[in-house]
Amino acid sequence: MTRLSTLAGTWEPMSYAFLDASAKREVRRRMLKALAIPGHQVPYASREVPIARGWGTGGLQVTLSLLRPGLRVKVIDQGADDSVNAVNLRRFMMRTAAVEQTTDALEADIIQSRHRIPEETLAEGQILVLQVPDPEPLRPIEPDMSTARQMHGDADYGRMWLMLYEQIVRSGRVTQGAAYPAMVNGRHVMTPSPIPRWDLPKLHMARHITFLSAGREKRLHAVPPFTDVRPLVFDDVPFAVEDHATLTCAKSGLRGTFMNEIPLDDGGTLYETSDTGLAIKVLSTQGGTPQPIGTTWYPVTETQP
Amino acid sequence: MTAFIPDAPILIDQQPLLRVTAARRLYGSFVAVDDVSLEVWPGEVIGIVGESGSGKSTLLRMLNLEEPSNGGDYRLTLPGRAEQNLFDLDRFEKRALRARHIGIVYQNPHLGLMMHNSSSGNVAERLVVAGERRFAVMRRRATGALAASDFPLDRKDAPPIELSGGMQQRVQLAKAIALEPELLLLDEPTTGLDVSVQALVIDTLKRLQAERAITMIVVSHDLGVIRTLADRVLVMKQGRVVEQGLTDQVLHDPQHPYAQELVHARL
Amino acid sequence: MTYVASRGGEAAIEQAERLFRAELGPITPRQVDTIRQTLPWLIDRVMGEASLHDRDLAALALAQTGGELYEAVLLLRAWRTTQPRLAVAEVVHLDQTFAHRRISAAFKDLPGGQILGPTLDYSHRLLATDVLDGQTVTPPAVESADMPGAALLPALTDWQKAQGLIDDPTPASVAPDDIPDLTREPLLFPAARAHRLQSLARGDTGGMLALGYSAQRGYAAAHPTVNELRLAEAEVRVRHPDGTPFSVGRVRLSSCEMVSKTTNPDTKAEYLKLGFTATLGWNEVKVIAGSTLDLNMQTGGARPATNEEFVLSHVEPVEASGFCIHLKLPHYVTFQSALDALRGIRRDGGQVRSADEVMEEAEARTAAARNTMEPAQ
Repeated sequence: MTRLSTLAGTWEPMSYAFLDASAKREVRRRMLKALAIPGHQVPYASREVPIARGWGTGGLQVTLSLLRPGLRVKVIDQGADDSVNAVNLRRFMMRTAAVEQTTDALEADIIQSRHRIPEETLAEGQILVLQVPDPEPLRPIEPDMSTARQMHGDADYGRMWLMLYEQIVRSGRVTQGAAYPAMVNGRHVMTPSPIPRWDLPKLHMARHITFLSAGREKRLHAVPPFTDVRPLVFDDVPFAVEDHATLTCAKSGLRGTFMNEIPLDDGGTLYETSDTGLAIKVLSTQGGTPQPIGTTWYPVTETQP
Repeated sequence: MTAFIPDAPILIDQQPLLRVTAARRLYGSFVAVDDVSLEVWPGEVIGIVGESGSGKSTLLRMLNLEEPSNGGDYRLTLPGRAEQNLFDLDRFEKRALRARHIGIVYQNPHLGLMMHNSSSGNVAERLVVAGERRFAVMRRRATGALAASDFPLDRKDAPPIELSGGMQQRVQLAKAIALEPELLLLDEPTTGLDVSVQALVIDTLKRLQAERAITMIVVSHDLGVIRTLADRVLVMKQGRVVEQGLTDQVLHDPQHPYAQELVHARL
Repeated sequence: MTYVASRGGEAAIEQAERLFRAELGPITPRQVDTIRQTLPWLIDRVMGEASLHDRDLAALALAQTGGELYEAVLLLRAWRTTQPRLAVAEVVHLDQTFAHRRISAAFKDLPGGQILGPTLDYSHRLLATDVLDGQTVTPPAVESADMPGAALLPALTDWQKAQGLIDDPTPASVAPDDIPDLTREPLLFPAARAHRLQSLARGDTGGMLALGYSAQRGYAAAHPTVNELRLAEAEVRVRHPDGTPFSVGRVRLSSCEMVSKTTNPDTKAEYLKLGFTATLGWNEVKVIAGSTLDLNMQTGGARPATNEEFVLSHVEPVEASGFCIHLKLPHYVTFQSALDALRGIRRDGGQVRSADEVMEEAEARTAAARNTMEPAQ
């Protein structure tokens, strides 16, 4: 007589990379659809994961569905590998999937990030997963997502340009800070997640894949390699990134990176490179242990710190 | 009822700009617009009068393709569109056609304007929808349309919510004419305004009509407005056109009992 | 000065969690037992919001979180989502449930009678402070009725349907595996009926109360009456592969129908409209608020309680609480980006440029671009 136990697999308290196979399959299918329609928000079930909603559960589900042993994963938050939430998400991936971790953007297979894109140019085969709090770029002008979906369907984006027009009327300039809306493949307006404007040009004609996933809002969208991504701007008013190109990192002497501004006791200000992975490699090289530094999207120079 | 009006001042080699045949609109079992047919020639101004509830505003919203129809045929003589019943277009096509070729001024400015955006922005939106992506062109043309609507340009960036009713109607008008549409629809454009302001808005409409020869359809229960603006007039009652003809003719010598009642009540 | 590699953060979050757990102390099987036995109403509330009927797991989640309710619900939801779906249970009709309590506010008496059951509704809310002085307060024994009540009670709506007072729509015929499942599909609007009822069943008690209460205070269209409220137990029946249905156990559930008079706009006929909510566990306030919302969402409109997308998007406990607390996370990159936009005006000499100046600059730029292109032509 055949015993049931010989037919069934051994019971384990948790699947590899937490999500069960059907959940992973569903996420992967949505990811493929998102790649097929660049910038289009694809609804997905978005399972509950053992991390609070709003803390990277969307990015986490995409990453978990891609993990396999031997992959190298980099997790950053605000550009930093040691930011507490990045550490926590990395711990979860290590605990459930036993992947390798790295802080080097060049050698990571998957980079999960909140609010930043690394300064070093990502290559073909790399996957960037951005955590998205609100996937809907039309939210400021249309809170109902059912109406917003219809507007995307019609490419009805007039009020987005009107929003920029109103900013110039009020402030004499476009005042949109982070999460600057972008037109993808000439068809869909997407939010690039709350990355600074500084990072947005890095998505245009990029060689890597970018997935943007919002767990709480249950939507994901993607930018496949070599896709046209342009900030939503008037043809005659140029897009301006944050004025950080001339700032110098007080720790590494780097110039040409996005900076964190640190207020000082004496009322002054100190800047440090936001991309800690890059800064650590530069510091290590300066300290006598050379590390390969990749090409960067912006011209980066080293000055004496 | 035949749509052809022998008295209409037309050039025989012209096509009508607009031709509606047997338009119908139902709300449940209530017939709001019943078998209305209408032809409008380029440059003409048509007035539609009737009491509230007569279906005239519903008809106007149907002509603006925002109100669905329950039957009938609607054609505009536009390049590539003349052979199409516009009532049959899908939502996307209706929106594109409306944005490019039809302007509308509503009685209630809240329907036509974003009350908290700048007035110039409200006008500029029309240009954005038509594909304009240059800030300077948007602003110049919005300013031009506001000027043509006799809107005081030092207020052009004020939001409509801060403006008087007459000024709000001028913003709506500027928005409606910004793309120089073939057809301008006016739904009670002066109702609710002070008499003196009414006269000024009507002056603007008259001047625009004279300068640009825009084809207009004006819905109003105010026969004074109709008399000043319209070449021809339709009288509507319970969803049907009960009388139509040259404005002077209908207002001086109405034939249908309801038209007589209406004219005498208002004079 | 050099960068410290990524260790500081890891140590900090590790110790912060330890601190929280140290204050709770060890979690013992006995403690979980005590929670399950002494706090059944809290267990029920958590089971409902977690959409997982398991008292032991619910008690464990409460023990593990020290009663931090949203954390407990998240723990259970995250556990639940990894579980395989073994079977789809048979439909439970109201008249097949074992009602411990059944109330109608619409009629003085009704087929099957008003069954008060266990409730604090008519208790005097006085704190039993004697307990703090060392005394044990033992409740007086329940005196049995002369006649045992009926095990099964007819549903009031059956009588109302027979009277032609309410619509009796034919239920859609859906294969069990094809019933829309909110835990496996995204919620889109307008929502499937199943998704709406599942959303309400999983909804945040406090959030549903707030929105339902807003409807009851007049920020909505319908003025409801409780048609039938039940706290009951129901058999969970599944089908054996050979087709025989059998019970795999009982769950506690609450259900409420809310009723309101309405007029058919076409026929002008007046009839009664029903709103419904059911949830796992006994939680009266949630199903009363939920059925009020269901009733008002049918009407539609701009008020919060009448807008389906508004209600269902905001009564989700895990999403709402998670997003609210996420605001603690560092946002210094986005803040820096906003600061830059702010300082742009200062860089321009403190003067906000007028839109007309921006326009003229744009025109000059366009002209310059045209001039540089001309020689090429």
